[in-house]
Amino acid sequence: MSEKRIGMVEKSNNKRQRVNLVPTFSINDHHDVLVEILRRLDGPSLCSAACVCRLWSAVARNDSIWEELCFRQVSPRPSLSLRSVVSALGGYRCLYFLCIRPVLARVPKIIWSRDQLQLSLSLYCVHYYERLHVGAWIGDAPPSSLMFLRKPVNVV
Amino acid sequence: MKRGHEETWDPTPHPQPPSGSCEGSSMTDNIINGKMADDNNNMDELLEVLGYKVRSSEMAEVAQKLEQLEMVLSNDDVGSTLLNDTVHYNPSDLSNWVETMLSELNNPESSDLDPTRICSDRSEYGLSAIPGLSAFPSGEEEEASSKRIRLESVGSWTDPALTRSVLVVDSQETGVRLVHALVACAEAIQERDLILADALVKSVGTLAASQAGAMGKVATYFAQGLARRIYTNDVVSSTVGPSLEEALQMHFYESCPYLKFAHFTANQAILEAVTTARRVHVIDLGLNQGMQWPALMQALAVRPGGPPSFRLTGIGPPQRESSDSLQQLGWKLAQFAQAVGVEFEFKGLAAESLSDLEPEMFETRPESETLVVNSVFELHRVLNRTGSIEKLLTTVKAVKPSIITMVEQEANHNGVVFLDRFNEALHYYSSLFDSLEDSYSLPSQDRVMSEVYLGRQIVNVVSAEGTDRVERHETLAQWKVRMGSVGFDPVPLGSSAFKQASMLLSVFAGGDGYRVEENDGCLMLGWQTRPLIATSAWKLAESPRE
Repeated sequence: MSEKRIGMVEKSNNKRQRVNLVPTFSINDHHDVLVEILRRLDGPSLCSAACVCRLWSAVARNDSIWEELCFRQVSPRPSLSLRSVVSALGGYRCLYFLCIRPVLARVPKIIWSRDQLQLSLSLYCVHYYERLHVGAWIGDAPPSSLMFLRKPVNVV
Repeated sequence: MKRGHEETWDPTPHPQPPSGSCEGSSMTDNIINGKMADDNNNMDELLEVLGYKVRSSEMAEVAQKLEQLEMVLSNDDVGSTLLNDTVHYNPSDLSNWVETMLSELNNPESSDLDPTRICSDRSEYGLSAIPGLSAFPSGEEEEASSKRIRLESVGSWTDPALTRSVLVVDSQETGVRLVHALVACAEAIQERDLILADALVKSVGTLAASQAGAMGKVATYFAQGLARRIYTNDVVSSTVGPSLEEALQMHFYESCPYLKFAHFTANQAILEAVTTARRVHVIDLGLNQGMQWPALMQALAVRPGGPPSFRLTGIGPPQRESSDSLQQLGWKLAQFAQAVGVEFEFKGLAAESLSDLEPEMFETRPESETLVVNSVFELHRVLNRTGSIEKLLTTVKAVKPSIITMVEQEANHNGVVFLDRFNEALHYYSSLFDSLEDSYSLPSQDRVMSEVYLGRQIVNVVSAEGTDRVERHETLAQWKVRMGSVGFDPVPLGSSAFKQASMLLSVFAGGDGYRVEENDGCLMLGWQTRPLIATSAWKLAESPRE
């Protein structure tokens, strides 16, 4: 995506010289701008963007991008204290993939407001809690209460 | 609709000739002609109990005809479309009714059958396949829904002997037979006719084994309970360690939305009640694995104004092994609280029965903290001893909670009459197992364990008595009366809880079957039309009683 405009200029001595008509701008050099752009994408586009190259994949892991995605339709915007909580629980990207994307897949026309966000957060907490202290669970594997979200849905 | 002449292919006069159409049936004619012995109103007793009037002498052919009918109906949809058109009367006169059905099927009006197809016959009954326009599989697609509706319309007969409503869960006739056998067995036990009950419970066992799906599983557990009731006088309460009980409940938590619904709606009610509190103390009457509290702590952590300090008193069964599982749970919850930034304090109380609790045990600090009492499927256990529930509720009242959240099963499994309890439980657990069945996306171990968890409840409801019977579910209406008499007022649950519950169910597999309903400020989660669990919230009545 780097755009370099190279113009050819005829010089008086008939030697063509390369002249940069515009300053070169490579988005890859400006991660913050890239982040700002990616923040405005929707989920599938964001995932596609993360597949472009290694740099973009790394930039796409920036949690603020996913935070924006999670809260886009929520109004009023949740308080900043939520950010530290979600980061402690694993970050917005995991929240999106575990608890929000499956819901959107199942119920595409859902109105995403505060209650729906709260439910997703509750499920996220359950998920985190189950992974605490794995050895303490009865049986071998930790329980997987979010399995119902992950399995594919047979649409009849 | 055909109205044919009254057919008497049976030499014995029937008491009530069928008024539906009954064309001559060559098939049944060939079989039964000349087999009848003259008989007068010698009705079979067992079937009479079920409400059918069948002569003992006719039993063999009625059985044959029923087999035919089952074969035809289970084979394809042609039968069902035909039967939809005709009116059949008086199914309790089983012999005529079956003949009417068969005659309908053997002389269908529809012309889109392949006349050259021949169905395999059941030679053991001496039936021979009749080529031509007979109701043999024509390869049409099955419409399970039409079948179900058809059988239900047939089943809604108005015979006064069948005053109980029969739940037809499966579209095949074995399902109906199974339910009838179960109910008959329960009736026999109610009448103390143990010999009959013994025979019936064995037949239930074989029928249930052949029945696939939810109905078969439910029937197996009910048969187990009935057998236990018949064969042992002193019922040994199945003692399994509390850890197994908790493990089973974890599987139940994972596999279906009932417990999640309970936790999330109760949490929302608590959140709304403690919006301004600086210190919150929750008493959980049944801590189990503490799955309810992480979500509440997270919600408290992000509330405007900052999180309150959170104190949890969890009550669990007495610890058997040296390991203190309650304390371990507390530690895990403390880890979570630290992650989300909530000040946390934990105390575990081990109590054999909830009625042993005294207000002093909770060490409440009424000046500084807001108290919440939470009970998920715990209160009904206390009903096994007289006076226990009143003592518990008095204790709860004494600690002066700001809000009490309560989740209970929505069923009356605590009636005095065994038969009523049995019927209620049959309906209830059929719906519950049905809902599990439809959750196709489950790993099988989860579902099996959930069924075991529910099966233990079934066996307890059916076979236990006295203090052993702990699954004494009562309906929300009954709890309302009880709570009101102790001095609690209902607190309506808000729309937030409703929206969260709706969203939870919409993403659950089989989500169309689940229903959330608001019932006078309480939320009920049900399967299809049957409410199964109810969440309610209570506070101390403000005005002094006169």
